[in-house]
Amino acid sequence: MSKVVIVPCSGIGKSYGTVAREGAYVVTEDLRPDTTQRVPLSLLVLGDEQAHADVVGAPSITIDGCKLACATKMVTESGGTVAHDPSAPLRASLAVLDVYRRHRDLKPAGIAELNEGGQKLAQALAEEVVTLVDALSTADSLPLSQNDGGGAGDGGQNA
Amino acid sequence: MGVKMPDLPKKKVGIVACSGEEMAEGTVTRLAALRVLEQLRPNETVTICLPLFLAGGEGDRAFARFYPTIAIDGCDKHCAARGTEMYSGKPAASIVVTDVIQTKHLGTARRLSEAGMQAVDVVAEQVAQRVDELLGVNWDRKQGQPSKEAQPAEGLEAKIATCSCGSGIPIQKVQVDGQEVTFIALPLIFEQFREAGKLPGDGTAAELMQAVKVYNPIPDGQATAYTEAVMREYAVFCQEKN
Repeated sequence: MSKVVIVPCSGIGKSYGTVAREGAYVVTEDLRPDTTQRVPLSLLVLGDEQAHADVVGAPSITIDGCKLACATKMVTESGGTVAHDPSAPLRASLAVLDVYRRHRDLKPAGIAELNEGGQKLAQALAEEVVTLVDALSTADSLPLSQNDGGGAGDGGQNA
Repeated sequence: MGVKMPDLPKKKVGIVACSGEEMAEGTVTRLAALRVLEQLRPNETVTICLPLFLAGGEGDRAFARFYPTIAIDGCDKHCAARGTEMYSGKPAASIVVTDVIQTKHLGTARRLSEAGMQAVDVVAEQVAQRVDELLGVNWDRKQGQPSKEAQPAEGLEAKIATCSCGSGIPIQKVQVDGQEVTFIALPLIFEQFREAGKLPGDGTAAELMQAVKVYNPIPDGQATAYTEAVMREYAVFCQEKN
Protein backbone atom coordinates (compact mmCIF):
# COMPACT_ATOMS: atom_id res chain seq x y z
CA MET A 1 0.00 0.00 0.00
CA SER A 2 1.22 3.49 -0.80
CA LYS A 3 2.32 5.68 2.01
CA VAL A 4 -0.24 8.18 3.15
CA VAL A 5 0.66 11.61 1.83
CA ILE A 6 0.80 14.42 4.35
CA VAL A 7 0.57 17.92 2.93
CA PRO A 8 0.87 20.81 5.39
CA CYS A 9 0.19 24.36 4.30
CA SER A 10 3.40 25.71 5.84
CA GLY A 11 1.97 29.22 5.70
CA ILE A 12 4.41 31.85 6.81
CA GLY A 13 2.06 34.56 7.99
CA LYS A 14 0.64 33.00 11.13
CA SER A 15 1.67 30.65 13.91
CA TYR A 16 -0.91 28.16 12.75
CA GLY A 17 1.03 27.59 9.55
CA THR A 18 4.08 26.69 11.57
CA VAL A 19 1.98 24.37 13.70
CA ALA A 20 0.79 22.65 10.53
CA ARG A 21 4.35 22.26 9.32
CA GLU A 22 5.65 21.03 12.66
CA GLY A 23 2.73 18.64 13.04
CA ALA A 24 3.58 17.14 9.66
CA TYR A 25 7.15 16.59 10.79
CA VAL A 26 6.00 14.91 13.98
CA VAL A 27 3.83 12.50 11.99
CA THR A 28 6.26 11.69 9.20
CA GLU A 29 9.46 11.57 11.24
CA ASP A 30 8.44 10.57 14.76
CA LEU A 31 5.10 8.81 14.86
CA ARG A 32 4.55 7.12 11.50
CA PRO A 33 7.73 7.34 9.43
CA ASP A 34 7.04 4.02 7.70
CA THR A 35 3.53 4.71 6.55
CA THR A 36 3.57 8.40 5.71
CA GLN A 37 5.43 10.84 3.51
CA ARG A 38 5.37 14.59 3.15
CA VAL A 39 4.75 16.30 -0.15
CA PRO A 40 5.67 19.99 -0.42
CA LEU A 41 2.71 22.04 -1.47
CA SER A 42 4.64 24.41 -3.71
CA LEU A 43 6.16 21.56 -5.71
CA LEU A 44 2.76 20.03 -6.16
CA VAL A 45 1.12 23.21 -7.34
CA LEU A 46 3.91 24.07 -9.71
CA GLY A 47 3.59 20.79 -11.51
CA ASP A 48 6.39 18.63 -10.15
CA GLU A 49 5.75 15.20 -11.63
CA GLN A 50 6.84 13.20 -8.61
CA ALA A 51 4.81 15.30 -6.21
CA HIS A 52 1.79 14.94 -8.46
CA ALA A 53 2.27 11.17 -8.76
CA ASP A 54 2.57 10.86 -5.00
CA VAL A 55 -0.67 12.69 -4.41
CA VAL A 56 -2.82 11.00 -7.03
CA GLY A 57 -1.46 7.59 -6.16
CA ALA A 58 -2.11 7.59 -2.46
CA PRO A 59 -4.57 8.83 0.13
CA SER A 60 -3.85 12.32 1.29
CA ILE A 61 -4.19 14.16 4.54
CA THR A 62 -3.92 17.90 4.28
CA ILE A 63 -3.20 20.15 7.22
CA ASP A 64 -4.44 23.69 6.86
CA GLY A 65 -3.24 26.54 9.00
CA CYS A 66 -6.19 28.82 8.46
CA LYS A 67 -9.70 28.89 7.11
CA LEU A 68 -8.49 29.63 3.59
CA ALA A 69 -7.54 25.96 3.44
CA CYS A 70 -4.81 26.40 0.84
CA ALA A 71 -3.40 22.91 1.25
CA THR A 72 -6.73 21.19 0.83
CA LYS A 73 -7.70 23.43 -2.03
CA MET A 74 -4.51 22.82 -3.94
CA VAL A 75 -4.25 19.10 -3.35
CA THR A 76 -7.79 18.77 -4.57
CA GLU A 77 -7.05 20.87 -7.64
CA SER A 78 -3.95 18.80 -8.28
CA GLY A 79 -5.93 15.62 -8.53
CA GLY A 80 -5.59 14.38 -5.00
CA THR A 81 -8.39 12.93 -3.00
CA VAL A 82 -9.11 14.85 0.12
CA ALA A 83 -12.35 14.54 1.98
CA HIS A 84 -14.03 17.46 3.66
CA ASP A 85 -16.80 15.31 4.99
CA PRO A 86 -16.16 14.17 8.55
CA SER A 87 -18.21 11.09 7.83
CA ALA A 88 -15.57 10.05 5.30
CA PRO A 89 -12.56 9.87 7.53
CA LEU A 90 -10.49 7.65 5.27
CA ARG A 91 -9.33 10.66 3.38
CA ALA A 92 -9.15 13.78 5.35
CA SER A 93 -8.22 17.35 5.86
CA LEU A 94 -7.42 18.77 9.23
CA ALA A 95 -7.44 22.40 10.24
CA VAL A 96 -5.08 23.58 12.92
CA LEU A 97 -7.75 25.98 14.12
CA ASP A 98 -10.12 23.08 14.76
CA VAL A 99 -7.48 21.25 16.74
CA TYR A 100 -6.82 24.42 18.68
CA ARG A 101 -10.51 24.68 19.51
CA ARG A 102 -10.21 21.27 21.11
CA HIS A 103 -7.11 22.35 23.01
CA ARG A 104 -7.74 25.92 24.05
CA ASP A 105 -4.96 25.76 26.61
CA LEU A 106 -2.37 25.32 23.84
CA LYS A 107 -2.22 28.77 22.34
CA PRO A 108 0.49 28.95 19.69
CA ALA A 109 2.75 31.95 19.31
CA GLY A 110 5.76 32.59 17.14
CA ILE A 111 6.27 31.70 13.50
CA ALA A 112 10.00 31.18 13.16
CA GLU A 113 9.99 29.39 16.47
CA LEU A 114 6.89 28.10 18.15
CA ASN A 115 6.30 28.65 21.83
CA GLU A 116 5.64 25.72 24.13
CA GLY A 117 1.90 25.90 23.51
CA GLY A 118 2.50 25.77 19.79
CA GLN A 119 4.79 22.78 20.11
CA LYS A 120 2.22 20.94 22.18
CA LEU A 121 -0.52 21.89 19.77
CA ALA A 122 1.58 20.47 16.93
CA GLN A 123 1.88 17.25 18.91
CA ALA A 124 -1.86 17.14 19.51
CA LEU A 125 -2.44 17.80 15.83
CA ALA A 126 -0.02 15.04 14.90
CA GLU A 127 -1.86 12.58 17.11
CA GLU A 128 -5.10 13.39 15.35
CA VAL A 129 -3.40 12.95 12.01
CA VAL A 130 -2.00 9.60 13.12
CA THR A 131 -5.47 8.35 13.91
CA LEU A 132 -6.42 9.08 10.34
CA VAL A 133 -3.20 7.63 8.97
CA ASP A 134 -3.79 4.37 10.77
CA ALA A 135 -7.30 4.14 9.41
CA LEU A 136 -6.06 4.87 5.92
CA SER A 137 -3.15 2.48 6.17
CA THR A 138 -5.29 -0.46 7.16
CA ALA A 139 -8.06 0.14 4.66
CA ASP A 140 -7.96 -2.49 1.95
CA SER A 141 -10.55 -1.02 -0.33
CA LEU A 142 -9.46 2.57 -0.13
CA PRO A 143 -9.74 4.31 -3.47
CA LEU A 144 -6.27 5.46 -4.30
CA SER A 145 -6.94 8.21 -6.74
CA GLN A 146 -9.55 10.61 -7.87
CA ASN A 147 -10.18 8.37 -10.84
CA ASP A 148 -11.29 5.71 -8.44
CA GLY A 149 -14.27 7.75 -7.51
CA GLY A 150 -13.09 10.04 -4.80
CA GLY A 151 -13.82 13.29 -6.56
CA ALA A 152 -12.57 16.60 -5.33
CA GLY A 153 -14.70 18.05 -2.64
CA ASP A 154 -17.24 15.27 -2.79
CA GLY A 155 -16.37 13.94 0.58
CA GLY A 156 -14.39 11.03 -0.81
CA GLN A 157 -15.40 7.47 -0.14
CA ASN A 158 -15.28 5.29 2.84
CA ALA A 159 -13.53 2.02 2.52
CA MET B 1 -9.57 66.36 -16.07
CA GLY B 2 -6.54 64.25 -15.48
CA VAL B 3 -6.26 62.06 -12.46
CA LYS B 4 -3.98 63.59 -9.92
CA MET B 5 -1.80 60.86 -8.53
CA PRO B 6 -1.54 60.93 -4.77
CA ASP B 7 1.50 60.56 -2.66
CA LEU B 8 1.83 56.83 -2.41
CA PRO B 9 1.82 55.31 1.02
CA LYS B 10 5.09 53.83 2.04
CA LYS B 11 6.02 51.36 -0.59
CA LYS B 12 6.97 47.94 0.62
CA VAL B 13 8.64 44.91 -0.79
CA GLY B 14 6.91 41.55 -0.78
CA ILE B 15 8.94 38.58 0.37
CA VAL B 16 8.01 35.18 -1.06
CA ALA B 17 9.81 32.22 0.47
CA CYS B 18 9.47 28.72 -0.89
CA SER B 19 9.41 27.25 2.63
CA GLY B 20 10.04 23.82 1.14
CA GLU B 21 9.44 21.19 3.79
CA GLU B 22 11.67 18.56 2.29
CA MET B 23 15.06 20.17 2.52
CA ALA B 24 17.02 22.26 4.97
CA GLU B 25 17.41 24.95 2.34
CA GLY B 26 13.64 25.36 2.32
CA THR B 27 13.68 26.02 6.03
CA VAL B 28 16.51 28.48 5.50
CA THR B 29 14.30 30.44 3.10
CA ARG B 30 11.48 30.46 5.59
CA LEU B 31 13.57 31.62 8.52
CA ALA B 32 15.49 34.14 6.42
CA ALA B 33 12.23 35.65 5.21
CA LEU B 34 10.94 35.87 8.75
CA ARG B 35 14.21 37.43 9.91
CA VAL B 36 13.81 40.17 7.33
CA LEU B 37 10.11 40.64 8.00
CA GLU B 38 10.34 40.66 11.76
CA GLN B 39 13.78 42.04 12.54
CA LEU B 40 15.82 43.46 9.69
CA ARG B 41 13.26 45.41 7.64
CA PRO B 42 9.91 45.13 9.42
CA ASN B 43 8.67 48.47 8.12
CA GLU B 44 9.77 47.95 4.57
CA THR B 45 8.54 44.44 3.87
CA VAL B 46 5.44 42.31 3.97
CA THR B 47 5.16 38.59 3.66
CA ILE B 48 3.47 37.06 0.69
CA CYS B 49 2.33 33.67 1.85
CA LEU B 50 3.27 31.27 -0.95
CA PRO B 51 0.48 28.75 -0.30
CA LEU B 52 -2.08 31.52 -0.26
CA PHE B 53 -0.48 33.14 -3.23
CA LEU B 54 -0.64 29.93 -5.23
CA ALA B 55 -4.13 29.10 -4.03
CA GLY B 56 -5.45 32.38 -5.28
CA GLY B 57 -4.97 34.95 -2.54
CA GLU B 58 -6.15 38.01 -4.40
CA GLY B 59 -4.61 40.45 -2.01
CA ASP B 60 -1.21 38.82 -2.29
CA ARG B 61 -1.37 38.54 -6.04
CA ALA B 62 -2.52 42.13 -6.42
CA PHE B 63 0.24 43.34 -4.15
CA ALA B 64 2.83 41.50 -6.16
CA ARG B 65 1.51 43.05 -9.34
CA PHE B 66 2.04 46.54 -8.05
CA TYR B 67 5.03 46.31 -5.80
CA PRO B 68 8.41 44.65 -6.12
CA THR B 69 8.84 41.18 -4.76
CA ILE B 70 11.83 39.15 -3.74
CA ALA B 71 11.61 35.40 -4.20
CA ILE B 72 13.72 33.24 -1.91
CA ASP B 73 14.11 29.68 -3.10
CA GLY B 74 15.82 26.76 -1.50
CA CYS B 75 16.82 24.99 -4.69
CA ASP B 76 16.99 25.32 -8.43
CA LYS B 77 13.36 24.35 -8.83
CA HIS B 78 12.62 28.00 -8.05
CA CYS B 79 9.11 27.35 -6.77
CA ALA B 80 8.76 30.79 -5.19
CA ALA B 81 10.08 32.65 -8.21
CA ARG B 82 8.09 30.56 -10.66
CA GLY B 83 4.93 30.82 -8.62
CA THR B 84 5.27 34.58 -8.36
CA GLU B 85 5.87 34.96 -12.06
CA MET B 86 3.09 32.57 -12.97
CA TYR B 87 0.42 34.27 -10.92
CA SER B 88 1.56 37.82 -10.71
CA GLY B 89 4.74 39.13 -12.25
CA LYS B 90 8.41 38.46 -12.48
CA PRO B 91 10.07 38.97 -9.10
CA ALA B 92 12.22 42.05 -8.88
CA ALA B 93 14.91 39.91 -7.30
CA SER B 94 15.47 36.21 -6.86
CA ILE B 95 17.75 34.55 -4.34
CA VAL B 96 18.49 30.84 -4.30
CA VAL B 97 19.99 29.43 -1.13
CA THR B 98 22.12 26.88 -2.94
CA ASP B 99 23.69 29.69 -4.95
CA VAL B 100 24.54 31.63 -1.83
CA ILE B 101 25.51 28.92 0.62
CA GLN B 102 28.05 26.30 -0.34
CA THR B 103 27.96 24.05 2.70
CA LYS B 104 25.81 20.93 2.61
CA HIS B 105 25.63 20.67 6.39
CA LEU B 106 22.69 22.88 7.11
CA GLY B 107 20.97 20.36 9.34
CA THR B 108 17.54 18.99 8.50
CA ALA B 109 14.43 20.66 7.21
CA ARG B 110 12.98 20.30 10.67
CA ARG B 111 15.95 21.46 12.68
CA LEU B 112 18.73 23.53 11.21
CA SER B 113 22.27 23.07 12.44
CA GLU B 114 24.43 25.96 13.57
CA ALA B 115 25.68 26.25 10.01
CA GLY B 116 22.07 26.29 8.87
CA MET B 117 21.28 29.16 11.21
CA GLN B 118 24.32 31.02 9.93
CA ALA B 119 22.99 30.47 6.43
CA VAL B 120 19.76 32.08 7.55
CA ASP B 121 21.73 35.15 8.63
CA VAL B 122 23.59 35.33 5.34
CA VAL B 123 20.51 34.92 3.19
CA ALA B 124 18.51 37.36 5.32
CA GLU B 125 21.22 39.99 4.93
CA GLN B 126 21.18 39.53 1.19
CA VAL B 127 17.44 39.89 1.10
CA ALA B 128 17.58 43.02 3.26
CA GLN B 129 20.17 44.47 0.92
CA ARG B 130 17.91 43.80 -2.06
CA VAL B 131 15.03 45.43 -0.22
CA ASP B 132 17.11 48.56 0.24
CA GLU B 133 18.11 48.54 -3.39
CA LEU B 134 14.54 48.17 -4.54
CA LEU B 135 13.30 50.94 -2.29
CA GLY B 136 16.29 53.13 -2.98
CA VAL B 137 17.09 53.39 0.66
CA ASN B 138 20.57 53.82 2.06
CA TRP B 139 20.51 51.83 5.26
CA ASP B 140 22.41 53.13 8.22
CA ARG B 141 23.61 49.88 9.72
CA LYS B 142 25.01 51.61 12.80
CA GLN B 143 21.67 53.18 13.63
CA GLY B 144 19.64 50.27 12.36
CA GLN B 145 17.44 52.58 10.32
CA PRO B 146 17.41 54.37 6.98
CA SER B 147 20.08 57.01 6.87
CA LYS B 148 18.95 60.63 7.11
CA GLU B 149 20.37 61.32 3.70
CA ALA B 150 18.37 58.49 2.22
CA GLN B 151 16.21 59.58 -0.63
CA PRO B 152 13.50 57.53 -2.28
CA ALA B 153 14.46 56.02 -5.57
CA GLU B 154 13.12 58.81 -7.73
CA GLY B 155 13.02 56.75 -10.87
CA LEU B 156 11.09 53.88 -9.39
CA GLU B 157 8.81 56.07 -7.34
CA ALA B 158 8.07 58.34 -10.24
CA LYS B 159 7.42 55.47 -12.57
CA ILE B 160 4.79 54.08 -10.26
CA ALA B 161 3.30 57.37 -9.11
CA THR B 162 3.06 59.13 -12.44
CA CYS B 163 -0.04 58.23 -14.35
CA SER B 164 1.20 59.81 -17.54
CA CYS B 165 3.69 57.04 -18.10
CA GLY B 166 0.89 54.56 -18.26
CA SER B 167 2.11 52.49 -15.38
CA GLY B 168 0.60 54.41 -12.51
CA ILE B 169 -1.51 52.71 -9.91
CA PRO B 170 -5.10 53.89 -10.26
CA ILE B 171 -6.58 55.67 -7.30
CA GLN B 172 -10.01 56.74 -6.19
CA LYS B 173 -11.08 59.46 -3.83
CA VAL B 174 -13.81 58.49 -1.42
CA GLN B 175 -15.70 60.42 1.21
CA VAL B 176 -15.21 58.77 4.57
CA ASP B 177 -17.08 60.41 7.41
CA GLY B 178 -17.05 63.71 5.56
CA GLN B 179 -13.34 63.52 4.79
CA GLU B 180 -11.95 62.90 1.36
CA VAL B 181 -9.67 59.91 1.45
CA THR B 182 -7.55 58.72 -1.44
CA PHE B 183 -7.52 54.97 -1.92
CA ILE B 184 -4.74 53.31 -3.83
CA ALA B 185 -5.67 50.66 -6.39
CA LEU B 186 -9.35 50.78 -5.51
CA PRO B 187 -10.65 50.72 -9.12
CA LEU B 188 -8.58 47.65 -9.86
CA ILE B 189 -9.71 45.91 -6.73
CA PHE B 190 -13.33 46.69 -7.57
CA GLU B 191 -12.82 45.38 -11.08
CA GLN B 192 -11.19 42.17 -9.87
CA PHE B 193 -14.00 41.49 -7.41
CA ARG B 194 -16.72 42.29 -9.90
CA GLU B 195 -15.14 40.06 -12.50
CA ALA B 196 -14.93 37.31 -9.92
CA GLY B 197 -18.67 37.65 -9.35
CA LYS B 198 -18.18 38.95 -5.84
CA LEU B 199 -20.89 41.55 -5.82
CA PRO B 200 -21.75 43.94 -3.00
CA GLY B 201 -23.12 42.18 0.00
CA ASP B 202 -22.26 41.15 3.49
CA GLY B 203 -20.08 38.30 2.37
CA THR B 204 -17.94 40.49 0.18
CA ALA B 205 -17.11 43.32 2.53
CA ALA B 206 -14.56 41.55 4.69
CA GLU B 207 -12.69 40.06 1.76
CA LEU B 208 -12.74 43.25 -0.23
CA MET B 209 -11.45 45.26 2.71
CA GLN B 210 -8.60 42.81 3.12
CA ALA B 211 -7.52 43.63 -0.41
CA VAL B 212 -8.02 47.34 0.20
CA LYS B 213 -5.85 47.19 3.30
CA VAL B 214 -2.96 45.82 1.30
CA TYR B 215 -2.47 49.29 -0.16
CA ASN B 216 -4.28 51.56 2.19
CA PRO B 217 -3.67 52.09 5.87
CA ILE B 218 -6.88 52.24 7.84
CA PRO B 219 -6.65 54.37 10.98
CA ASP B 220 -7.48 52.76 14.27
CA GLY B 221 -11.14 52.99 15.12
CA GLN B 222 -12.20 53.86 11.58
CA ALA B 223 -12.54 50.40 10.10
CA THR B 224 -16.34 50.55 10.10
CA ALA B 225 -16.47 53.97 8.46
CA TYR B 226 -13.93 52.92 5.85
CA THR B 227 -15.77 49.71 5.14
CA GLU B 228 -19.09 51.50 4.73
CA ALA B 229 -17.54 54.07 2.42
CA VAL B 230 -15.72 51.55 0.28
CA MET B 231 -18.72 49.27 -0.01
CA ARG B 232 -20.90 52.24 -0.95
CA GLU B 233 -18.46 53.08 -3.72
CA TYR B 234 -18.30 49.47 -4.77
CA ALA B 235 -22.06 49.32 -5.13
CA VAL B 236 -21.93 52.43 -7.33
CA PHE B 237 -19.09 50.93 -9.34
CA CYS B 238 -21.01 47.72 -9.99
CA GLN B 239 -24.16 49.65 -10.86
CA GLU B 240 -22.30 51.74 -13.41
CA LYS B 241 -20.76 48.66 -14.98
CA ASN B 242 -24.08 46.93 -15.42
